[in-house]
Amino acid sequence: MSAWIWGVGTSNFGRQTDKLPAELAWEALQEALADADVAHVDAAFVGTVFGSLGVAQRALLGVGLAGIPIVTVENACASGSTALHEAHQAILSGRYERVIALGVEHLTSLFAGPIASDPTDREQATGLLFPGIYAMSASRYMYEHDATAEDLAAVAVKNSRHGALNPRAQRRRALSVEEVLGSRMIAEPLTLFQCAGLSDAAAAAVLGPTRRGSRDVALRASALRSGTSWDHTSRHVWGYDVVRDTARDAYDAAGIEPSDADVLEVHDAFTIGELVTVEALGVDAEGAAPAAVAAGEHSLGGKTPVNPSGGLLSRGHPLGATGVAQLAELVWQLRGEADQRQVADARIGLLETMGGGTAGLDGNACVVAVLQAG
Amino acid sequence: MPGSALRVASRPHKLDRADAAPLSFPDPRPSVVSGPYGYAIAGARCTACGHPNATTAPRCPRCGGEAAAALFGPAGTIWATTTIHVASGNRAAPYTLAYVDLDEGPRVLAHVLDGPRLAPRVAQRVRLIARTDNGDPQVEVAR
Repeated sequence: MSAWIWGVGTSNFGRQTDKLPAELAWEALQEALADADVAHVDAAFVGTVFGSLGVAQRALLGVGLAGIPIVTVENACASGSTALHEAHQAILSGRYERVIALGVEHLTSLFAGPIASDPTDREQATGLLFPGIYAMSASRYMYEHDATAEDLAAVAVKNSRHGALNPRAQRRRALSVEEVLGSRMIAEPLTLFQCAGLSDAAAAAVLGPTRRGSRDVALRASALRSGTSWDHTSRHVWGYDVVRDTARDAYDAAGIEPSDADVLEVHDAFTIGELVTVEALGVDAEGAAPAAVAAGEHSLGGKTPVNPSGGLLSRGHPLGATGVAQLAELVWQLRGEADQRQVADARIGLLETMGGGTAGLDGNACVVAVLQAG
Repeated sequence: MPGSALRVASRPHKLDRADAAPLSFPDPRPSVVSGPYGYAIAGARCTACGHPNATTAPRCPRCGGEAAAALFGPAGTIWATTTIHVASGNRAAPYTLAYVDLDEGPRVLAHVLDGPRLAPRVAQRVRLIARTDNGDPQVEVAR
């Protein structure tokens, strides 16, 4: 048994106060169902972090998908990709044949500033908001690898150039290093343009078995882990080990190595996140990501393009929708439908999402998936 | 009061739940106590593997062994640090946070006294002092 992505769809990304969460989901679902050329599925897995009670049911009812099993999952920033992973596993196990993975989030109606974890978390309660969590990683990374503020900013510059080519992105303007470093300081060394913006959006995908004569994309493997204890014995910054271990699970299941990936969509909620992630994925050696970014290796046209969509930094980071939005970008890339953002001859795509917010844990969840052109 | 600071922290649906009861739960932050050698974090140490933990959870996060109450501190080393420029709860910006590895103890998150002015660095030595006015664990850079 193998699983394929039959169709994908997304809403626009950004501040959309004129739309309800369900309305954003309807846009994504309608596009995904039309793209897959189906009207019905057997089940739905839905990722959302702060989504209100029944957001999944409200969304699915609006496109005529009532009466099926619906499972809503919360796995922090990896909620959408966890929905994808569970949909995938449900097909592989024979539990369902056709499944929808949906992610939806409406953040601008809930937050006016940086997103915080739960108030019962001991570090959130001490004043560590999400930008602070990643700023801590930046602090340590810069100490260990002599990285500079410019090295971090270069990630935002690269992804802003990609985002400028994405008509659905939240930030569609190419930024200079000076603009990134000159934007408002949020959590040293991270400035505003090094933080993904608050975003409202939805993304959906239809998964199913092999179809003849289709432009479906193969989901070769997906893996899900949550982190182990992150404490004074941890050698790496928060999240590194869980990404490395989850990636190894996915590579082994797909029979690939990181060097086989032609295009990647990874978790760059903050600039430091992309640097740490591409190293943890084994795409770059430890401490080598800044040089790879500077050499253009991760830019469109480079050796291994990372986040051609603009990433979370430019496309936007509607938490629960992000993993499925990453999937949509990779499907478009592997079908050759990514227009100006197209990575030439892309055959293997790699998706990675990692979410946190639990003190003392090396990540609440990480999902890595391997996709292959049909 | 720690409770009031916590209630102000970002919380979904605050706009349309103005009539809801205020959040009420115990303070989740590590307890700072006055010990024989100065201030200390009241945590626990695993009776099986010796792993120290800043929380009072019943089992060791590493091996699942039984945890027994223990005090850690006051001396430690900064593992990572950042100065936050966004107000949070009752905390005015800027304020400085650090992950501090307490000597023979756990990694704890603490505020750094006068941090925005001192700009503490990774690997600097610090000492636990009394909690901040907001009730947050706090360290000062060792002189």
